[in-house]
Amino acid sequence: MSQYLPIVVMAILASIFAAGSFIASGIFAPKRPTAAKSAPYECGIVPRRGPAQRFPVRFYLVAMIFIIFDIEIVFLYPWAVAFHQLSTFGFVEVLVFAVAVFSSFVYLVGNGALDWGPKKRLQPLVEDETESISSELVA
Amino acid sequence: MSVPGSWYLILAAVLFSIGVVGILTRRNVLVMFMCVELMLNAVNLTFVTFSRMLNDVAGQVAVFFVLVVAAAEVVVGLGLIVAIFRRKANVTADDLDILKG
Amino acid sequence: MSGLVQVINSAPALMASVAIHFPSVQYGDLVPELALLVGALVAMVSSALARTKDISFPYTGIGIVTVVLAGVWSYHLSTIVASSGPKAIVAGAMAVDGFSTFLMVLIAVSLLLVILLAEAFIYEVGSRGPDFVALLLLSGSGAMFMASAEDLLVLFVGLEILSIALYVLVAYCAQVTLSREAAFKYFILGGFSSAILLYGIALTYGATGTTNIGQIALFLSQNTLTSNGVLLGGMALIIVGLGFKIAAVPFQLWTPDVYQGAPTTVTGYMASVAKAGGFAGLLRVLYVSFQTVRIDWRPVILVMCVLTLFTGSILALVQRDVKRLLAYSSINHAGFILIGLYVATQSSLGDSLYYVFAYSIMAIGSFGCVSIIGHLKGSTEGPLDIDSLRGLAREHPRLAVVFAILLVAQSGAPFTIGFLAKFSVVSAAALGQHYELAVLAMLSAVIAVYFYLRVVFAMYRPPLTADTEGESGLTLTDDSGDVMIEEDGALDQGDLLTVTRSRTIPVAASLSVGLALAMTIGFGIVANPLISFASSAIPLH
Repeated sequence: MSQYLPIVVMAILASIFAAGSFIASGIFAPKRPTAAKSAPYECGIVPRRGPAQRFPVRFYLVAMIFIIFDIEIVFLYPWAVAFHQLSTFGFVEVLVFAVAVFSSFVYLVGNGALDWGPKKRLQPLVEDETESISSELVA
Repeated sequence: MSVPGSWYLILAAVLFSIGVVGILTRRNVLVMFMCVELMLNAVNLTFVTFSRMLNDVAGQVAVFFVLVVAAAEVVVGLGLIVAIFRRKANVTADDLDILKG
Repeated sequence: MSGLVQVINSAPALMASVAIHFPSVQYGDLVPELALLVGALVAMVSSALARTKDISFPYTGIGIVTVVLAGVWSYHLSTIVASSGPKAIVAGAMAVDGFSTFLMVLIAVSLLLVILLAEAFIYEVGSRGPDFVALLLLSGSGAMFMASAEDLLVLFVGLEILSIALYVLVAYCAQVTLSREAAFKYFILGGFSSAILLYGIALTYGATGTTNIGQIALFLSQNTLTSNGVLLGGMALIIVGLGFKIAAVPFQLWTPDVYQGAPTTVTGYMASVAKAGGFAGLLRVLYVSFQTVRIDWRPVILVMCVLTLFTGSILALVQRDVKRLLAYSSINHAGFILIGLYVATQSSLGDSLYYVFAYSIMAIGSFGCVSIIGHLKGSTEGPLDIDSLRGLAREHPRLAVVFAILLVAQSGAPFTIGFLAKFSVVSAAALGQHYELAVLAMLSAVIAVYFYLRVVFAMYRPPLTADTEGESGLTLTDDSGDVMIEEDGALDQGDLLTVTRSRTIPVAASLSVGLALAMTIGFGIVANPLISFASSAIPLH
């Protein structure tokens, strides 16, 4: 147990410092509150509602896919550790597992879940611009 | 010197209860979702503790499966939450009031 | 630091000293489950390689082929079990016995009916593509894993495969608010209940030192654990966790909402396959694992059973939506199935399984009819008010007759599968000297007759005219007030007919409902094959 002592001492010191800073600032800091000061966003305009949140759905999708491909390591790592003892049996089982994971990967790629980024959207925009420019030139 | 196994079991039971109470009382969808995960992880702790106490590796293998299942559940759950609340400002279960039980 | 080095150095030696026993996997015994998994993967991969994404029938074809293969192979396995006895496979983690093969045949049949219904309707409101069929097959394979699980962990993983795919299926019509809400409710409560089940499994593991169902039974028969808190807690949590899945009272609160909000086809699937999976787990775990401590769980099951019987039938009386009504009816049926578990003999278990089979067929048929009617009324896969059924018998006499037969069969009318199912569980209760329970069950069945007939009568009543329309808030005949001011109901119907004539009943849907009807009546009259099949559905050990 004694090897944990430095950690305990460190934790106690850290909490004493954190608590001490709060208490000291509470005692010594000047306090002259006004209504305007205690309102949030002291920049003149009173916000009527919170800003609209944007959900980058693409990001969530990729995050989800990442979780699935991330978690397969839970099975692959123990297999890799005991690879020699598991021999052919383990290899066949992992192959089956890999085929299942890989086919879901094919499904994702085939349905365009992984081609994200602005590349696709920019293409027509640029074409439109050149078209409009050329039409202006013609005019 | 080591911490007795029953302490871990009690800790797991407390965590599990926090998860249960959280689901039953909280209204924020994401918090409810986190409570489910908390329950699953409390069970993981129980499995590992029993595995250690019984000197049997099966409990630790169980944790692997639970981890994977929990990950799959997270993915589906986040997908559902994004699909449901994309057009709403905040994520509370009170907004889901068309179906009254 | 030196300790760490020591551990690292000793690790290979440690592992080398442990001899690994490889399980012998006979893949022939796993064909039904694997067929569904492979079918789902094939559907997904082929959709990735296909040029047009907007089709559904090839995937329906893949689904039907794999489901038929799984069903036929399950039946084949059951004949093997009948001739050479049940066996444990994959190092005792799964079982091939009468119990599992019976349920797998049931799951395959139900999946076939659901796939046909889905082809007819679900793509009208959801996106086309392989997703629905693939998810359905995955979910079905989870149910099959539950049916043949001989280890609590396999049971849990099977349950999660079943449930996680089902969460997505419920949300399949994500543009419909109702569907999204139902999906979310089902997701939170499903996750909650499977976490509870898992905690129960963990506690049982702690008390007995194993998660294998047969070995738990062995351990409990050799060691007397009187009032062992960990074991009792584990058992109670397993009952609660699976009680959520089978929608037994007091864990039924999610059922009406989710059944109403989900697409009707998915509701049919939930009522049949998901419920069968839940019952497979509950029956096997309680009957096999906790056989020696049955004095502890039987009172709990009795209370659940009586509450479920009466909550289901009484609350169904006041419902206005057909899908909600059928949800409460499914709760009522769960009570009947629990009777066989409470009696807890080998034959009563067979009676429960027979009831599960009968209920699944009738439920898919009924929800199929609701799907068709909803489609005809213009709200495909959506909710369906009872009042909107009025006049159905005049417009679609055959559809009305089929729906009526399926409903009356659910209430237990003679010459149908429903009567035999109710008769078998009630007689099982009587044989076990539980006369009060038998009487209560019959009382509940009598109450249930009333609400089934309420739906049937609604179909045979004249349609709502403009005068009575206001109270129900229906707008079936929108413009009739302007066009036909002083006319009576006759012309309103004509108007209605022109609306409905544009929609026809899809062939796949009629096929599915027709198959369900044929089985409902066929196995009701030629009863012997299914009854003997069910009576051979004995769990291993």
